[in-house]
Amino acid sequence: MIGKKLECIDAGSEYCPCFLAETNECITCSHLQGKEFCDCNWRGVCIYQEYVWAGNRKKESRSSYPAAVVEKNQVSDNTIVYKLQVTKTLARELDNPGAYVFMKEKEKPGFFDVPMSVMAVDSARGEIYVAVQVRGAKTKALTGSENDIIVRGPYWNGILGQRYLKSVKDGNCLVIARGIGQVPAVMVVRYLSRGNNRVRIIIDPGKIGVVLGNEFIKGLPCEVEELDLNSRQGVKVVNRYLKNENYDLVFSGGSDKQHLHIIQEVDRLENKPFIVVTNNNEICCGEGICGSCSTRIDSGVRVKACKVQLDVRKVIERRILNG
Amino acid sequence: MVNIVVIGGGWAGCAAALSARQAGAEVLLLEKTDMLLGLGNVGGIMRNNGRYTAAEEMIGLGMGKLFDITDRAARHSMVEFPGHSHATLYDVTKVEPMVRRLLKEVGVEIRLMARAIDTIKKGNVIKGILMADDTVIEGDVFVETTGSTGPMGNCLKYGNGCSMCILRCPSFGPRISLSQRAGVEDILGQRGDECYGAFSGSCKLNKDSLSEEIREKLNRVGVVVLKVPEEDIRVEKLSVKVCQQYALKEYAENIVLLDTGHAKLMTPFYPLEALRKIPGLENARYEDPYSGGKGNSVRYLSIAPRDNAMKVEGLVNMLCGGEKSGLFVGHTEAITTGSLAGHNSVRLALGMPLLELPRNLVTGDIIAYANERINTKEGLKKRYTFAGAEYFERMKERKMYTIDRQEIERRVSRMDLTDIFSEKLV
Repeated sequence: MIGKKLECIDAGSEYCPCFLAETNECITCSHLQGKEFCDCNWRGVCIYQEYVWAGNRKKESRSSYPAAVVEKNQVSDNTIVYKLQVTKTLARELDNPGAYVFMKEKEKPGFFDVPMSVMAVDSARGEIYVAVQVRGAKTKALTGSENDIIVRGPYWNGILGQRYLKSVKDGNCLVIARGIGQVPAVMVVRYLSRGNNRVRIIIDPGKIGVVLGNEFIKGLPCEVEELDLNSRQGVKVVNRYLKNENYDLVFSGGSDKQHLHIIQEVDRLENKPFIVVTNNNEICCGEGICGSCSTRIDSGVRVKACKVQLDVRKVIERRILNG
Repeated sequence: MVNIVVIGGGWAGCAAALSARQAGAEVLLLEKTDMLLGLGNVGGIMRNNGRYTAAEEMIGLGMGKLFDITDRAARHSMVEFPGHSHATLYDVTKVEPMVRRLLKEVGVEIRLMARAIDTIKKGNVIKGILMADDTVIEGDVFVETTGSTGPMGNCLKYGNGCSMCILRCPSFGPRISLSQRAGVEDILGQRGDECYGAFSGSCKLNKDSLSEEIREKLNRVGVVVLKVPEEDIRVEKLSVKVCQQYALKEYAENIVLLDTGHAKLMTPFYPLEALRKIPGLENARYEDPYSGGKGNSVRYLSIAPRDNAMKVEGLVNMLCGGEKSGLFVGHTEAITTGSLAGHNSVRLALGMPLLELPRNLVTGDIIAYANERINTKEGLKKRYTFAGAEYFERMKERKMYTIDRQEIERRVSRMDLTDIFSEKLV
């Protein structure tokens, strides 16, 4: 009878209960999974109560907003940093590690929506900073146009292990970010600094060939170092830091392979720091509906990776080591 | 060394912790809220009808310390109210700190705001309890006394929604049925209409909000009976409440108030507007549940199948007590079942045969009788209490009901069980 204990990132938020509650697929509440009695993974509110009080309906879903492009900077061959004007409310809701939005060029149909991590926000002005690495049809259509952009959000599950981020205070942290993985790392560094943590940042420009977000971490108590994480020298330096610095938390922004390497190194340590990583699943609707981010965890349970704070080790190990 | 973990710090859990400790074990008591006694913080009725016999038996069996507290914390004793005789009403504002002090004194480790969410098993053996903060608590034997009330979703589906009761789920998180988590399916109580669960049977009014005349009478004699206006009499409401010993016609036609520190109102809930029509209650407000004008907590949704030694069926090292162990109502019933579970947890850890209380004691008989009845369709709709309804009738028929202390002492001693719960086994 041990139910799967899944932690929904949206549980208790103003967008909860969502479409999944209406279809008896709620990640958290047993009543909204079609069961008869309470057996939930409590997140601080009773989702069933919210659902019934909303007239047995979900709450209002996230909206799409037209966002004026305030700035658009080509920072490398394949990377563009946008500063977008959104509402102050949306900007404030996105001021959280792991926050992301869906973006598309104004005239394009909905399936051009592409998820993008938020690098920084100015909630007083209602502005957000987003970096786009041009890779395929959606990002090309988005960056190729000078039109306004449609932004849908806020979404929050861009980083896995968020509760660890929130639990570490006055600690010692290592942030490793490569390529476009630097974007979510900015918010992570700012968050950790607010918790009075010392942060060492290792940056590898990777495939985007540029260091991002310097202006947002200026003045914070952190040391920044640039390395080629794929070189022997880079690996050696990271391993040395992990071994000698007794970290409380390690963040990995980059590929699953990078995450795996860090997990394996951490497993060799005596004092194991918390591991927080970027969520690299292919996210398409963000609402747990379309199925593109569906991931199998042990015993064949399928999990919607756009909403669930997955156990980092299980996901990475399954995907890379077990195929 | 024997390590016993008791999960749930209501009356049953406190009794289990005390009896396990008296038997010589190291005892850890886990409680999800910031107070022990759970619903005992808003109850208060002891020694009414057959509970007197049971309390004296428990004292004879060696659990006198808890009854000493409820007697010492009494605001009134030998109170008579409709259908009930010689009740003791303890002061709900005094009793919890007294119990907490007692348990600390005898060396029970108490961990508050510690919510258990799962079991860690190897085969049918419980290895540890997973806590909400992801820590694991290990032990030799586990006693589950998590009760059967709530949480919010159940109170909504089977009741009128969260009424903000003393269990305070929104603040401390929901109750989890650990035996069910360990793979043993819960038994569910029903009410008259075959719907699952039943409402808690009383609510409390703030005494200061009542008229001076009522307040004065409550303080003096402990009971006030007021007439319900003709148009507000709802006899059908009696079938939804758990406390069948108070499901009498008198309780539909009258408002019965008891002085337990608050003014205990012997009905599951009562719309505030209607309540305020009654002379003397014009300014009444609720103390517990805060929304007593709308509803009350829903109970009996989580009962573990068990044997008469309180061991959960299908698990090697888990016992249960209180409402978790049957369709019991009341503090005395919780203390009775909890004490036996706690005592037997130590026996189980030591490989000793488990104790079953004999059926010629009311404490042993109710444990066995409730277990027989829970297997029947009709039995699922009944509640078992020394204080009234079916079981008190049985006590009277079998001539087991008495308030003669010497006679009760003699019964316990004839069974050679005097002070069995305070004997050290370790």
